[in-house]
Amino acid sequence: MQRRKIKFWAMILAVLLPTPAMAQPATVVAVPPLATPENVSTAAGDTGLLARYVADVIASDLRSSRELMPIGPENARVYSYPEATAPSFSQWRTTGAKVLVTGFVQARSDGRLTVACYLHDIPGAREIARKGFVVTPAEWRKAAHRCSDAVYARIAGRPGWFDTQIAYVAESGTRNDRVKRVAIMDSDGTSHRYLTAGDTTVLTPRLSPGGDRLAYVSYAGGQPHVRLIDLASNDDGPLLPGNAMSFAPRFSADGKRVLFTMAVAGNTDIYTANVDGTALQQLTRTTGADTAPSFSPDGSRIVFESDRSGSEQLYVMNADGSDPLRLSFGGARYASPEWSPDGEWIAFTRIAGSNLSIGVISPTGSGERILTQGVGDEGPSWSAGGRELLFQRSDAGGRIGLYVVSIDGGNPRKIATPQDGSDPDWSSGGAK
Amino acid sequence: MRRAILVGLVAISLSGSGTLAAAQPSPPPVTIEMLQAGLVAKSGSDTVYFAGNGHGIDAAAQATLTAQARWLLANPEVRARIEGHADERTPRDYALAIGERRANAVRDFLVLQGVPAAQLTTISWGKERPAVGGTSEMALALNRRVSTVLMR
Repeated sequence: MQRRKIKFWAMILAVLLPTPAMAQPATVVAVPPLATPENVSTAAGDTGLLARYVADVIASDLRSSRELMPIGPENARVYSYPEATAPSFSQWRTTGAKVLVTGFVQARSDGRLTVACYLHDIPGAREIARKGFVVTPAEWRKAAHRCSDAVYARIAGRPGWFDTQIAYVAESGTRNDRVKRVAIMDSDGTSHRYLTAGDTTVLTPRLSPGGDRLAYVSYAGGQPHVRLIDLASNDDGPLLPGNAMSFAPRFSADGKRVLFTMAVAGNTDIYTANVDGTALQQLTRTTGADTAPSFSPDGSRIVFESDRSGSEQLYVMNADGSDPLRLSFGGARYASPEWSPDGEWIAFTRIAGSNLSIGVISPTGSGERILTQGVGDEGPSWSAGGRELLFQRSDAGGRIGLYVVSIDGGNPRKIATPQDGSDPDWSSGGAK
Repeated sequence: MRRAILVGLVAISLSGSGTLAAAQPSPPPVTIEMLQAGLVAKSGSDTVYFAGNGHGIDAAAQATLTAQARWLLANPEVRARIEGHADERTPRDYALAIGERRANAVRDFLVLQGVPAAQLTTISWGKERPAVGGTSEMALALNRRVSTVLMR
């Protein structure tokens, strides 16, 4: 008991003590197990058990953020079903938490579940947010992630990213016999599945904003070319007819168009087309290599990479290809830009000598910051809230994996994948 | 029939004589590996290298490619795929672009030497097929390359 108390206070202290990477202390959130009005057996287990699992997922989600510090559900006080909506605040004040998450899991007569969560301001003794989801028992985890998103959004003031997905390339085998497969998983690493068989080299999967499609590059048939997968039906086909080399696909914010690069006689330029391959339009016409295009969130502009000046640099142009302006002047080479979902920043890969690192720059070219000190960090992809970047890191030992870094800096954290991983893309989520 | 022609072509390219190998009893089958070895023997290498992010063909590469062109002209039935590569410290998309540009630079050079364009195809492997592992300067330099790969 005494030991638990010390551990508890050590946790609180750890949260309150300032660290260089954390400008503000994290908000402590109590996440006790959810309640259930009646323990009912479902396809995914008893509702009493699911109530605990949902709290586990919420706490785990919040722990991966910088702004929130969950305590529980381990060792937390267990409350009754009526208390989910009317907590006894005096009991929770002693925990030191500022915010309390309660809720319940209830079996419905139609076989589905109601998962509800409530957010309470403990010092103010009032409810500050609530969310309810009706899901199949198999989808309980998705409901938990949505609760986490609601908690994060209410406290941090930005959309959460817990109910989002990560697409990437799973890599296995030796250097001379590398097997690469497009894979997709929930951003907490669950629901992992492979979308391609591994018999052909695949690159750069990119999720559509609605999460219904995935664009990627495949060597199937010989030339690398952009293909689209319908994630509901698993239909997989080329974006364009013919066998021209095309690569570096990205969707527009409305998901209706694809930006990509096409090579004609050794010269690569940026093109756009509808997702069905119609209305093909060429946007750049320089003799340099123009590639890695990314739309601004409002679709009015495109950031891309070009070596028209001699080395790779970032440029911004209008969506019709007019008025290209060079953005990067940092005395290095710059590649693989991606515009942030809030439009405030452009993430990039910076190449200095043979070291690759991740950084951000504003769309006007000011405020450049380097966020990682790796030797082989590349291909940043924004989180839904625009506060974190997912990227690929090759270490000195030749291993390659996925990492996340906050745009405020700090040490990148590794995202676990069953095999080596590269070319990650984080879905935008939030829209649902 | 096709194999017999190929055997004959190899015999021509290796011996310089006009003797038809097909006329000799039970010739050994000519594999694509043997043809590739013949190209390497005659040209010095099936691979040329590039500096930095460049696609310029330097003097050493010109000598190799000129010899490759002679071999390809002497063996018009053998198709070649010109495979462009970038090093592992080149970001993914740009590696594809630069591999394509290098492959096209080599293809254009071979065509200027008289090799029929129809005999050649190009592909960019970006940084997907490194010849050498690791990221030392030496390893990176050895991976910035274009290889002439013979095809059936």
